[in-house]
Amino acid sequence: MSKPPNRRGLATALRLGAYLAFAGIVVAFALAAPGFLNPVNLLNVLQQSAILALLAFGLTVVVIGGGGDVVTGGIDLSVAANLGLSAAIYATTIQKGYPDALAIAACLASGVAVGAVNALAVTVLRIVPLLATLAVAKIVSGLEFVLTQNSVVTASSPFLSWLADNGPLAVPVMAYALILTTLIAWPVAQATPYGLRLQAVGAHREAARAAGLPVKAYVAASYMVSGLFSALAGVLSAAYLTGSSPGSADILLSVVVAALLGVVFSPRLTPTIGGAALAVLFIGLLNNGFQLVNISSYWVSGVEGALILFVVACTPSQREALS
Amino acid sequence: MTAAPALALRDIRKSFGGVHALDGATLVVDRGSVHGLVGQNGAGKSTLIRILAGIHHADAGVIEIDGVEQPSLSPSKSERVGIHFIHQDRLLAPTLTVAEALLLGHEPRWSYTPFINRQRLEAQARLALRKTFDIDLPPRALVRDLSNAEQQIVQITRALLNPPKILVFDEPTTALVRREAEFLFQAIRRLRAEGLTVLYISHYLSEIGNLCDEVTVLRNGRDVARVDARSTPTTRLVSLMIDRSVEQLFPTRAPRFGEIGLEVEGLTLDGAFRDVSFRARKGEILGVTGLVGSGAKALARTLFGLSQPTSGAIRVSGAAMRAKSPRAAVASKIAFVPEDRRRHGIALGLSVRENATLASLERFRRFGFVTRRRETAAVDSLIARLSIRTPDAETPVRALSGGNQQKVALAKWLIKGSEVIVLDEPTVGVDVGAKAEIYREIADLAAGGAVLILVSSDLMEIEGLADRALVFFRGRIAANVETAQLNQDRLLTLVTTGRIPRDDHVEAAE
Repeated sequence: MSKPPNRRGLATALRLGAYLAFAGIVVAFALAAPGFLNPVNLLNVLQQSAILALLAFGLTVVVIGGGGDVVTGGIDLSVAANLGLSAAIYATTIQKGYPDALAIAACLASGVAVGAVNALAVTVLRIVPLLATLAVAKIVSGLEFVLTQNSVVTASSPFLSWLADNGPLAVPVMAYALILTTLIAWPVAQATPYGLRLQAVGAHREAARAAGLPVKAYVAASYMVSGLFSALAGVLSAAYLTGSSPGSADILLSVVVAALLGVVFSPRLTPTIGGAALAVLFIGLLNNGFQLVNISSYWVSGVEGALILFVVACTPSQREALS
Repeated sequence: MTAAPALALRDIRKSFGGVHALDGATLVVDRGSVHGLVGQNGAGKSTLIRILAGIHHADAGVIEIDGVEQPSLSPSKSERVGIHFIHQDRLLAPTLTVAEALLLGHEPRWSYTPFINRQRLEAQARLALRKTFDIDLPPRALVRDLSNAEQQIVQITRALLNPPKILVFDEPTTALVRREAEFLFQAIRRLRAEGLTVLYISHYLSEIGNLCDEVTVLRNGRDVARVDARSTPTTRLVSLMIDRSVEQLFPTRAPRFGEIGLEVEGLTLDGAFRDVSFRARKGEILGVTGLVGSGAKALARTLFGLSQPTSGAIRVSGAAMRAKSPRAAVASKIAFVPEDRRRHGIALGLSVRENATLASLERFRRFGFVTRRRETAAVDSLIARLSIRTPDAETPVRALSGGNQQKVALAKWLIKGSEVIVLDEPTVGVDVGAKAEIYREIADLAAGGAVLILVSSDLMEIEGLADRALVFFRGRIAANVETAQLNQDRLLTLVTTGRIPRDDHVEAAE
C-alpha cells in the first residue's frame, strides 16, 4: 500500500518548529530582559525546573509504556499528589525527630507504593489509566490532608539545607540533581533493552506480546518508576519549601505539558527523556522570562494550556500515521 | 513405524454461541513439508489457526506436536514448543527502527554493560534481511515509514531468526507484490530443504499449487479432503471448497431494470484500487466481491465518501457527486449499511425508532420540531415490514440480536428513500433465519427501483442474490459478469486467481 510521502516531512517540520520556538523565546527574552542570559539566572531556572523535570520524567516513562493515545494511552495523573504526599511524609518524619535517612526511605517507599497501586488499577483491574490515576490522585491527596491537617509542616535538616543550597562552583545542588537525573534516566530509557522494550510495549502492545515480552510487567514497572520519580521530586520539594505545604496539585498541568511537549522535541516524535528535559527547560525559561519582563506569571498558565491544545491537536495526525 | 507427523489436529470442535465454527476438523502436517490449508470464508480456517496459536481453546479434539499430545496451548506456550506465526496483520511497533523491531527481545549488548550495541544490532539486522529476502532495508528506517510489504518482510525475517519447528503463514502475500511474494516462496522452499515444516493458509489457489506439497480443504468446519497439492487441479480444489447443501435462502426475483442509476468512471484510490469503471441500472443488485485487500471493500467506502478517491467520477442518476464526503453522498441519495454496524451503522443506546429516523429527521419535522406521531407511524410500519423482533419501537437497539440490529440499520435508509444503497457484508455474524429476511428486504429494495451495491465475500450471496458480479483482484476489476452466467465454481476461481476460467464465454471487464 502506498503511503503519503510527506509524512516524514511533516514530522520534521513539527520538530523543527519546536526547536525554532525554543530558540525564539530565548532570543526574545535575551533582548527584552537584560538579565536573562546571565549564568546565575540560567542556573536559577535549572534549580527551579528540577522538581518539574523529575515528575515529567516519571510521566514520560508511563507514556512510553502505555502508548501515546491521549484518551486510552498511558498517563499518570497522580504524580503531583504523590509529590505532595512524599514531601509531607518527609517533613513529618523530620519534625518527629527522625534522621534524614529514615525520612528518605519512608518517602521513596510511599512513592513506589502509590505507583504500585496505579499499576494494580491499570494492569489487573484494567481501568483506563486516565481514570485510574485520577482516582489514585484523589486518594493520595486525601492521605496528605490526613497527615498534615491541610496545613504547612516545616522541616529543616542538614540534608534538606544542603539540597536547597549551592554546591561546587556556586551551582545550586538541585541544578546538579536535574543534570544528574537526566544523565542517568536518558541512556537507561534510550539505550538499554529495557527502554527499547518498554517503547515497543507502548507503540504496539500486540506486537510486543507476540515478541514474547511480559507486557503487563513492563506497564506495571512504568507506573512504579513514575512513583519513584514523584518521591524524589517530593524530597526536592521538601528542601525547596523547607517542609511541605498544601497545593502540590497545581503543578500537574505543567507536568502534563512537559511530557506531551517532549514528544515534539524528539527525533521519532515519541515521548523521550531528552524531549521531556527540553520541554521542562522550555517551560522554565518561559516562566522566568515572563517574570523578568514583569508579565504576571498567571499568563504562563494560559500559555501552558495553549501548548497542551497544540500538542494534542498534533497527535491525531500522529495516531493516523501509526495506525 | 513411521515417524509421527510434525503437527496433528484431530477432530477439533469449537462453537461460538451455539454456532459450530469447527465441527470435527482434522489437519495433519508431515514433517519437512509445506502444507496448504484452504477453504471459503467461514469454513473455519481462522478458528483452527487461532486454536493452534492458543488464542481460542477447542471444545473437543486433540492437538499433537511431534506425536506428543498438547493438553493446553497458550500464545507463549505454542511459541515455546516451536510454532511461529506470521499473521496477516503486521505485528510490529511502528516507532521502532527496522533493526530494533527485528531483534526486539534479543538485542545485542556491549559486554559487561546494560547498553545496546547499536552497530552489532544493525549489522545483524542487515545480515538477516539479506539472508532471508536478499533485500537491503535500511536498518535505521522506522517501521512506520515502511510499505506494507516491507513490514511483512521484517516480520517474516524476525520469525526466522531462531528457526522454529513449524512456521504458520496466515495469508502472507495479501500485501505483497508479485516480486516480493516470489522472494517469500523462495525463502519457504529453502526452509523446507532445511527441514522446516510449514503450514500455509492462502486464498490464492495458484500459490497453493505452486508452493505446497499437500493441501487440506476445509468446508463448514470440517476437513473434506487432503490431497496432493501439485497434481490436484485448481478446479478440483474449488469444487471441494464449495458447499452445495445450502439453497433456497434467496428470494425468487423477476428484476426489471430501469435507466442507469449509478455510474462510476475511472475511479482510483491510491493503494486500494485503480481505474474502476462500471454502471448499474435502477432495480439492479450489483454484487461486488474479491479477496481481502482486493479493493472491493475500499470501493464501498469510497462510494459513500468515507475514503477520498485520487481521481475519477461518481454519478447518481446522471448527476455527478461533487464533494466526496458522507454528507455529499447522502445528499446524492447514496445510503451505506456498513459491516461494522456498531461503529458506523447504528447508535446502540438509542431506540429502534430513533435509529430508524436518524438520517431523515427532516421528513418528520414541523416548525423545527420532530412530530412524534408521524415518526411513530412510519417506524411501526417498518418494524412490521422487516419483521424486526423487538418488544416495541422504544427498545434500545442494544437489546436486539445481531440480525435484528442489522435490520434496523437497513430501516434507517428505507425511510430515507435512497436511490443507491451500498451494503457492506450485510449478513456477517447473522443467523440463517435473519439472513433470509435481509435477502428478501434487499430484493424488495431493488424492486422498488433502487440501485443495490452488495459488497460481500460470501460468494453464495453474490451468486444467489446479485444480478451482476463485479470481481476485484489485486486492485482491479477482473470481471464484470451477469451472475446468470456464473456458478460458484467459476466465481471462486475468478476471485482466487483473477482469471476467467477457460471455456467460458463470460463478458470480460472493459
